[in-house]
Amino acid sequence: MTGANYAAGHAMQAAPLASAVEILLDFLDPGTIIQVLINGLAKSSVFVMIAVGLTLVFGLMGVLNFAHGSLTMIGAYLGGALVLFAVSPSMGDFTRLGAFFVVVVAVLALLTALGAALEISLIRPLYDRPPLYQILLTFGLTLVFDEIVRIVLEIYDIQPTTKWQAPLNTRPSFMGQESQRTLDWLFGVRVDGMQVFEIVFGFVVVVGIWLFLTRTRYGLYIRAGSEDTEMTEALGIDVGQAFTVVFGLGVGLAGVAGALLMWDPIRGGASVPLGADVLLPAFVVVIVGGLGTYRGTVVAALIVGMTDATMTWLFDNHVEFAGLPELVVFLILVIVLIVKPQGLFGVKEVGGH
Amino acid sequence: MATDADEADPGEGSGPLGATTDVGGGDPLAGEPWYRRYLWDHRVHAAVVVLFALYPFAYSGLTEAMPATMTTLLPGITVMVGVLYFGLFAMSFDFVSGYTGYLDFGHAAFYGIGAYFVILVANDKVPLLDPSTPFMFSLVIAGLLAALVALVIGAVSFRLTGVYFAMITLGFAQVIYVLMSNWDYLGDNPRSGIAVNTSMHPEGFEVGVPFVDALNMQIASANFVGETLSTELAGHVIALSAPEVSYFMIGLVVGFCYFAMQRVIHSPFGKVMIAIRENEERAEAIGYDTFKYKMGAFAISAFFAAVGGALFAGYRRSVDPDNSLFFLVAGDALLAAIIGGFGTLAGALFGFLFFEFLGELLANNFVSRGGESVPDGLLPYLRDVLGEGTLSTTLFGDVTVRTVLDVLFNGRAELYIGVLFVLFVLYVPNGILGTLRLWLGGTVAKKLPERIGSRLRGGQADPGPPDD
Repeated sequence: MTGANYAAGHAMQAAPLASAVEILLDFLDPGTIIQVLINGLAKSSVFVMIAVGLTLVFGLMGVLNFAHGSLTMIGAYLGGALVLFAVSPSMGDFTRLGAFFVVVVAVLALLTALGAALEISLIRPLYDRPPLYQILLTFGLTLVFDEIVRIVLEIYDIQPTTKWQAPLNTRPSFMGQESQRTLDWLFGVRVDGMQVFEIVFGFVVVVGIWLFLTRTRYGLYIRAGSEDTEMTEALGIDVGQAFTVVFGLGVGLAGVAGALLMWDPIRGGASVPLGADVLLPAFVVVIVGGLGTYRGTVVAALIVGMTDATMTWLFDNHVEFAGLPELVVFLILVIVLIVKPQGLFGVKEVGGH
Repeated sequence: MATDADEADPGEGSGPLGATTDVGGGDPLAGEPWYRRYLWDHRVHAAVVVLFALYPFAYSGLTEAMPATMTTLLPGITVMVGVLYFGLFAMSFDFVSGYTGYLDFGHAAFYGIGAYFVILVANDKVPLLDPSTPFMFSLVIAGLLAALVALVIGAVSFRLTGVYFAMITLGFAQVIYVLMSNWDYLGDNPRSGIAVNTSMHPEGFEVGVPFVDALNMQIASANFVGETLSTELAGHVIALSAPEVSYFMIGLVVGFCYFAMQRVIHSPFGKVMIAIRENEERAEAIGYDTFKYKMGAFAISAFFAAVGGALFAGYRRSVDPDNSLFFLVAGDALLAAIIGGFGTLAGALFGFLFFEFLGELLANNFVSRGGESVPDGLLPYLRDVLGEGTLSTTLFGDVTVRTVLDVLFNGRAELYIGVLFVLFVLYVPNGILGTLRLWLGGTVAKKLPERIGSRLRGGQADPGPPDD
């Protein structure tokens, strides 16, 4: 912290109103706003990636998947292993990027298969029990998954609790730490390649899923099933199969989020604790948006991402409370649930007893 | 139970203690004073308490007789102390979630409040409370504070149900977690927790009746801090280490709390809690203000959770955000409650005992016993027993018995607990105690003596009069 910032922090205690105005003026500086906006968009992309699978599954099946975080973590390790296998040091930047997309598709396929298998073998017997048991089962699965990953990591001599560094070397040169550029033409905003990549990636995934839900026949089934399962079934659609597909897809998307985070040591990085770290913000985004609504999740991810970026900026410059961004994210959850218990776009019946 | 009998035959015309004709088929203790009836009703509880009380002696006896086997098999006293205070927390979780059906994912907040509060009082960080405040006082105040926080959280949370309730309580708990792990008023490095100021409190905290020296014992995990005891009883020297003294003192508090919660569950208030779980709309339709009952249950549960947390911090003499306030701490309570039996109260403690037993069994430690290093855990035990010859036997390829054992048992407790938990959710949804109840057709405390009694009398259904 610079001396001036430190002084600002103290001034705040002396004259709260004056310093609030000061902070606001500081924030309204175009350079600051654009910086926070870009940081916020990158964070929002990550949030939407980790939450979208969760919301699809809940929307159709009413199952809150507690193993979602662990599955993201598995995706991160799997993606890391595959990318290390696919990328050789001599490869050029764009070949690396291509290899990454091949890896993403592979992770999506593998984890979708895993998810479908889980649905058929473990979740399906629980549909006629209270929703509590689905939460419990998936919660138990996190224990098993985390431990299995630990065993595998032990075999390969990788530290489970620290971020896995090896896959970071497979990134194209325009994504690493050294890729950060100060854009003089844009008020001196600092951007690194990873942020741009995340924003584009998140945008593509959001649009892709939206197209899938609204433009394909299967998406129609899923939307119909979310509205009224029995009616959909009565119309001759195999909802049971749709459940399997959607649960698989939800898990697959968790894996894709993991593969993305595996390349981002700042917002993620493959490690076993990543699971719990990812699970809570994913819950916040999904609940704030309204459980099971796709549009709500995207909007909530933007809100949470932007708030997070603003609070991080506030902490970096004015407030000496390191937990501020995290704290405010959970406050958003609490406040939204108090003011609008179904979330921003939620429907009343979903998720109750 | 006395109240049940009163309610069962109000029209008999006999006084509360004179119910000579009982619906349940012969009340053996009709006309006896209430405490004898209470003891008789709770004879299974009493037996369990006696078993717990005898455990330290059994443990030291058995480990002396068969050091390797018993040290591996049985959880040590320090682990058992953990079973007691965390068991209390798990029971308090079961009290609200198992009985009203509202899943409180933020229950760790109350455990953490209790734990932080007693240490902050001891470190002179709480205004109005002197650092020399007796531990028992700060423990009760911690409980009341947690109950107050529960009322605030509950006031907004109980408007929601199901998943949303779980999520808003989780949100509140995480807010408290983030606050406490970043607030530097608490200590130098709040993220890694706070510890008791040893210059202010060189000795362990006293559990017992405040200001009566003879009725207090110190709790601490280490002998040099806590109190050891050595007395002669009928020619035998009984020497208790500090953890053993703590085991008994914490056990007393936990036992007291259990019976208090059990009393509430079996009161009309508890019946309404169950009614809310089974069908809240119907309970409301009958005329109960369910919101008030939920708030009451939440506050009571928070109180006991904080007591559990206070005992935990008092015994460990330190606390950090991740072992008290983090949401996964409530997850452990949930696991314990489900394995033991959701909605059975005592089941939560037995569930946690079962966990710790598994964890201890699968540990990979050596402990010193009588100057000798003794294996504590299945892996070192098997290595010890099997010997080098068997261990290096090749099974196939370059896989030896040793590698197989390593992969299977080296610190894998979490894996087995997870698998077991999943199996429980799928196939034993009622948990250990719940299944036992279904099998007996009533609570274990009530039905087990009847069963045993009828077996002893050769299939006679009703329990006969007591022998005296």
